[in-house]
Amino acid sequence: MEVYEAALGRRSVRSFQPKAVPTALIQKMLEAARWAPSASNIQPWKFIVVKDPSMVDMIRKVSPGIFGKPTTLIVVCSDQERAYRLGGEQGRDYFTIVDTALATENIVLVAHSLGLATCIVKSFAASAVSELLDIPDHARPELIVTVGYAREVPKPPPKLTLNEVAYTDRFRNQLEMK
Amino acid sequence: MTPQRKDADEATFEFATFLATSARGCIEEPALYGSLRLLDALSRFVEFCRETGLHTPDPFLEQAKKIVDENSDLIMSDPERFKQFTDGLVRNFAREIKRRAAR
Repeated sequence: MEVYEAALGRRSVRSFQPKAVPTALIQKMLEAARWAPSASNIQPWKFIVVKDPSMVDMIRKVSPGIFGKPTTLIVVCSDQERAYRLGGEQGRDYFTIVDTALATENIVLVAHSLGLATCIVKSFAASAVSELLDIPDHARPELIVTVGYAREVPKPPPKLTLNEVAYTDRFRNQLEMK
Repeated sequence: MTPQRKDADEATFEFATFLATSARGCIEEPALYGSLRLLDALSRFVEFCRETGLHTPDPFLEQAKKIVDENSDLIMSDPERFKQFTDGLVRNFAREIKRRAAR
């Protein structure tokens, strides 16, 4: 699958089949994640793959934004200590958010190309997730990616047109298009 | 503890956990998410009542749950229709209040 096709075809799926995700596919997703760009190449991320059904269930209970019953979760964490040591305050307070988001996008695009369904979730109780997963104080769960096989793929959501979001040369200058 | 009681206790705990974590999340989340969480709570509460035998299944509430489950994702795709759906839901409750008052 071409990257362009993956970018346009990916959907946020909130209904999953009770079917396990092969480890080899998860590994591919994580490989893509660790090759994401990051400010100053700090790579301020840690990934926790949650496959144990009882742990998935516990995380789900403290995550109002997780819908359906995904079989796998990837908890994308920022390493605050590493980000601060290598990138100062901006590294810790800003780039950790941007960089973990970039890694997360790689995860969901590769997942889609492998026939998997995902949803990026921010609505979870971070302190509860840290407690459940023994995440140390210097790390912070930023996003959870639910992963599984879609039971139902939603229709594409409405999107602003290209002309509404992109300009040429100056802000609000109409975009030049073929 | 009987298995049935254990299930009820677990369902109660799970519901309380949902409320607590939602309350925390609503501090920073978009305002509309508060509405989504309350609707999700409505759905979960109806299910909770059914599963724990708190009361006999109520056709009106079961239908309300079905409507909520089928329409909640509008918040992501069409906030205006989400608002219309909640208006319709509230109207349904108002009609049910009148129906029950007339009994």
